[in-house]
Amino acid sequence: MKASVAQLAQLPGVWRGGELEHAAQPVVSTGHAILDRELPGGGWPTGTLTEVLHDAAGIGEVSFLAGALARASAGDRLIAWISPPHLPYAPALAAAGISLDRCLVVRPANRDDSLWAAEQALRSGACGAVLFWLPSDEYAWLRRLQMAAEAGRAMAVLFRSTAAQRLSTPAHLRVVLSREEGALEVRIPKRRGPPLDCPIRLQVGRSLPLASASTTNIRPRALVAVG
Amino acid sequence: MLWIALELPALPLQVAQRAGASREPLVISEGPEQRPIVVCANEAAQSTGVREGQAVAAAKALAINLRVLARDPAVEREALERLAAWGGQFTPMSCVDGQGISLEIEATLKLFSGHARLSSAIRTGIRDLGFQATLGIAPTPLAARLFARAEANGLQVRGCLDLATLRERMAELPLFLLDWPGKTLAHLTDLGVVRMRDMLDLPAEGVSRRFGPEIAIYLGRLMGTIADPRVPYSPPPRFRARLELPAEADGVDALLFPLRRMLVEMEGTLRGRGAGVQQLVLWLEHGRKLRTRMDLEFATPERESDFILSIAREKLGRLALPAATIALDLRADALLSYVARESTWLPGAKEQAIGRERLVQRLCARLGRDRIFGIVIGDDHRPERQGGSHAIFDRGRDNAGTRDSAGKLPCLAPGRPVWLLNRPRKLVNQDNFCLIAGPERIESGWWDGTEVRRDYYLAANARGETFWIFREHRGEQGWYMHGVFA
Repeated sequence: MKASVAQLAQLPGVWRGGELEHAAQPVVSTGHAILDRELPGGGWPTGTLTEVLHDAAGIGEVSFLAGALARASAGDRLIAWISPPHLPYAPALAAAGISLDRCLVVRPANRDDSLWAAEQALRSGACGAVLFWLPSDEYAWLRRLQMAAEAGRAMAVLFRSTAAQRLSTPAHLRVVLSREEGALEVRIPKRRGPPLDCPIRLQVGRSLPLASASTTNIRPRALVAVG
Repeated sequence: MLWIALELPALPLQVAQRAGASREPLVISEGPEQRPIVVCANEAAQSTGVREGQAVAAAKALAINLRVLARDPAVEREALERLAAWGGQFTPMSCVDGQGISLEIEATLKLFSGHARLSSAIRTGIRDLGFQATLGIAPTPLAARLFARAEANGLQVRGCLDLATLRERMAELPLFLLDWPGKTLAHLTDLGVVRMRDMLDLPAEGVSRRFGPEIAIYLGRLMGTIADPRVPYSPPPRFRARLELPAEADGVDALLFPLRRMLVEMEGTLRGRGAGVQQLVLWLEHGRKLRTRMDLEFATPERESDFILSIAREKLGRLALPAATIALDLRADALLSYVARESTWLPGAKEQAIGRERLVQRLCARLGRDRIFGIVIGDDHRPERQGGSHAIFDRGRDNAGTRDSAGKLPCLAPGRPVWLLNRPRKLVNQDNFCLIAGPERIESGWWDGTEVRRDYYLAANARGETFWIFREHRGEQGWYMHGVFA
């Protein structure tokens, strides 16, 4: 009855420490081939909680997911934005190919309501993606959100500050973002596989990646100080 | 014809206890004020020796802390009528009959896959409503009632599905189950006629001569030899239900159980009419003319009690009640036609749409409508008007408006930020930024008094954060931040 190691590795949810998990988890391609390569299954996972950690605002922390959001909304499912720091700007989303009438912005009055709304949105199964900015660091709540994400098979992305790095998380994927030399630097300290040692760089932020219109009316004027 | 009769034994007590059984001894009284008589007594009262037919004074001597409620025939009648309306979901021929209701089910037997399934569905339904009923099934309404009464009196009877076996099935039943005048029954007992078999063996002309023609006609209707037409109950085109709680309920959780019973009743009634409700008002009565109003609104007509209850639960949780609740009053004044939703194994686009609506409704119920938005592209070049939000709830299923705006996609300028600040933030010191791209001139709005003439730039600070900033050339001139390239 002894199963060989090779047989064990065939089981779902079992993988070698040095490799990425290859189980048939549904994923959504992010549109960045270089990032997809580093994610288990070849895309952003759905049906599980994921974390994006960043300190600076305006480094492309949302737009690097635009491709995945556009695909997640394709199946006639909602994209819920729960307690975003600002109102999502419709023309930018539309340019990224995100269907606007599938977007649902929820701005609850307090923390408890935010958590509740996030859980409802995840659990309902009506959402293809749920993005939330929650003030909570409670592990128990994150665990609840993880369970809800599993039930609703949605892409669940929690945006937090990098201070959360030292806290443990029930999320299956944790991504840390920073801006280095004009590119978005992505580190992956937690994924189903070995942590990503050398960070990868993505070109996002100026305009959303799927924008097809031309950029003729913008002339770059690099590094001009305004007096 | 095949009839199902539902008999509600001790109806006055059931009506009084519907919102929850009382553990204290409770009796219902009737009769002259000087000497009221006990009509029904609950279990707690019966265990102390209180019996039906006793004087209330005697009952009070037996049970300390006895609660006495006066019988209210109007309330009983109303309860039966609402029950008949609820029965309308099983058959169009549903009417109030004695201490219960009668349903003609032959026409709908196939729909409910046979009388066994149908009667078990009815039994479960009645229990969910908070009533106890016995059920009789027979080819004539009177025989069905007789069987239901026999069951209520603890006699074992089997239902009867065709006229040929009717006589044999009811042969052993005692005569007192029939609601005949006491004098007639006493007379028959004197003759030694105590069972149905003896009664049916008597010659018909003799019965008519000795006990009056109405008894003979009754027997004819019972056995199906004389037609017994009934008038179906037609409920008013609105739904109202009031339920008094057995004890004062302090919290909200204690209200959910009685509320569920009311919603189940409403669901049955609405099913019978093929209707749904879009607006509901629930009054929570606190006594002394103090009451709290709670409104429930849905995007489309709804009737499923579980769904409505889940919405009501969220709403109730937000209410601050001034006092304990003693009664619930549920009102729906407009019944709208309901589009049935068929359930499938594999959810498709339609189920997705329902899921979306339900999610939005649930969120609205707890958070309030002003906290849920959709986003749209406005028909304007000023960024603060081009991106906007709209209340998503009122839109319902009709979202053609936003489709139109999506059609304008190709003319969008590139390089727009993901976040737009609520209002532009004035920059005190723009030296921290270096401009990456721009300017893009946006000049518009001369017609409505909020004209803007702005040069927009993409700007980054030392940390690599990219913003959308502009220089205003009109009004309060200067540099402003307007968006974040998140």
